[in-house]
Amino acid sequence: MAKPMDFKIYVDQACRAAEEFVSIYYETMDKRRQALTRLYLDKATLVWNGNVVTGLEALTKFFDTLPSSEFQVNMLDCQPVHEQATQSQATVLVVTSGTVKFDGNRQHYFNQNFLLTAQSTPDIVWKIASDCFRFQDWGSS
Amino acid sequence: MTVWRNRKPLEREMGENTQDGTPGSWFTFTIPHGIKYDRTWLMNSIQRHCSVPFTPVDFHLVKNVAQFFVQEASTACALLDVSYKIRDEESRKVCIPVFVSLSAVPYSVQYKLKSGEMEQLELTLIKRFDVSKQALDLQRLCVDPGTADSSNSRASCMAATLQVIEKNFPELLSLNLSSNKLYQLDGLSDIIQMAPTVKILNLSNKELTSVWELSKMQGLKLEELWLQGNPLCDTIPDQSTYVRAIRECLPKLLRLDGQELTSPVTVDVDTPYMVKPCKRSFLGSDELKSLVLQILQQQKSVLSEACGTGPFGQNTVMVVDHLEEERKVGVLSQVILVRGALIMNLCAYFKDRRNMKKLKDPYLRVQLLKHTKHVIVHTLCVLPKTQHDFSSFVVDTWFQTQMMLCFSVCGVFKAVEGSSQGCVRSFTWTFIANPAGYC
Repeated sequence: MAKPMDFKIYVDQACRAAEEFVSIYYETMDKRRQALTRLYLDKATLVWNGNVVTGLEALTKFFDTLPSSEFQVNMLDCQPVHEQATQSQATVLVVTSGTVKFDGNRQHYFNQNFLLTAQSTPDIVWKIASDCFRFQDWGSS
Repeated sequence: MTVWRNRKPLEREMGENTQDGTPGSWFTFTIPHGIKYDRTWLMNSIQRHCSVPFTPVDFHLVKNVAQFFVQEASTACALLDVSYKIRDEESRKVCIPVFVSLSAVPYSVQYKLKSGEMEQLELTLIKRFDVSKQALDLQRLCVDPGTADSSNSRASCMAATLQVIEKNFPELLSLNLSSNKLYQLDGLSDIIQMAPTVKILNLSNKELTSVWELSKMQGLKLEELWLQGNPLCDTIPDQSTYVRAIRECLPKLLRLDGQELTSPVTVDVDTPYMVKPCKRSFLGSDELKSLVLQILQQQKSVLSEACGTGPFGQNTVMVVDHLEEERKVGVLSQVILVRGALIMNLCAYFKDRRNMKKLKDPYLRVQLLKHTKHVIVHTLCVLPKTQHDFSSFVVDTWFQTQMMLCFSVCGVFKAVEGSSQGCVRSFTWTFIANPAGYC
């Protein structure tokens, strides 16, 4: 059972990684789209509004075809994923929500979850193992 | 070439010129960023502010800059006064400067065709016109016996051709200008006005050296373009870069050099169409599907009671966060980590928001993370009752390993008691589940 002190450290680390990661991710998505796949693991999966995209190559193609975006993140939260679930690989679940405009068209609300995993060689680098993105357009549909 | 910004030096120069006795010299007027403005609006605005009526000759665009020629010195002076007086269409305080410089006689005036030549040109063009396809074949027009072939007359030929087109073939769809030794597309920029219906343009085997020449064609809604055999094709080694560059100039293009282009990604304002349409729940393999559905079933039963207590493990962590109250249909997300058991449910929670964007205190951040089973059950019981619309659920299974299953559920629910009774809210739950048997 995790002691309260350890837990606090976990949470701190997770929070810091998540915040930094999120700001980099959305900025890259909006302004340097071609560099976005560098934030994903080789075998990462993306479920985008129900469409599955697996592997770096498919991800690159997918992001190329996605129109230019303008993201605004209104909510961000995260928690460390318990080590037992991930076989001691430090993992953080990041949840974001906000609005996005594609190609200057109508605004959509979106929800996105990332599973971030720490790659420690040579420095600690967080990469996306899995990504789930969905529009939240309940009002209009 | 000297550029004048205000009247006095210009007048001085004028004085000198007229002393020489040169009649009506030509002046070039330059409007930086002229490409931003609609040509008719620009000319009308200038005319409105100018005390003397004038006729702009050869209005054309050089990259972003708009230029036109004016003949009389007095007109030139009057026009100079217009500089910085015209306001941007959106009435921002951006004034449009106008610069003047002395110039040579503009092309179209210099190389006007004589009337006899004009008629001959008309006949030649009529011969080359195909009515059924609304296509005009001007291939190798320069070497056609009907036209004089000299470097000077080529430019005037272009202008004259356009005039004929405007007069005789107002609904021209296809224009073939291949093998015509055109170095630039300046003369063609008038096509946008004279033959606005052109959708198919063949510019192959000419002498075009740079892709931005094509930006002059932007006003046309071109669907098909032929560019083979131009030096510009050789400067861009990579086929896809070439296609992309052309597409940047002409985004609506469908066919290039005879090949269909993959349809451009456009998002229509009326009917939002994304690259991939939004699909319903993605549930992965059948096994997973049944697992997830099982979890949700538990959910269902739990949710319909006042306070749910599904089975949970020792180190369950629950995070209840952001709730947007501004919108009628709010969004909330809650995340749960379950250890040692299968799921549990979540309800809306109004007070303890843990939106990291707003909450910077690290201590509070830890506090609000509901940790361990007891705390969670307590929190859940305290949450207001809700009524979920199960038919609205959309589930995405997005990650799974032997040890872990992650999926998200979105849907809507209604708060059936408390301050926001009757309010419909949307939610997203993200679950990370472990197989039972771990403790």
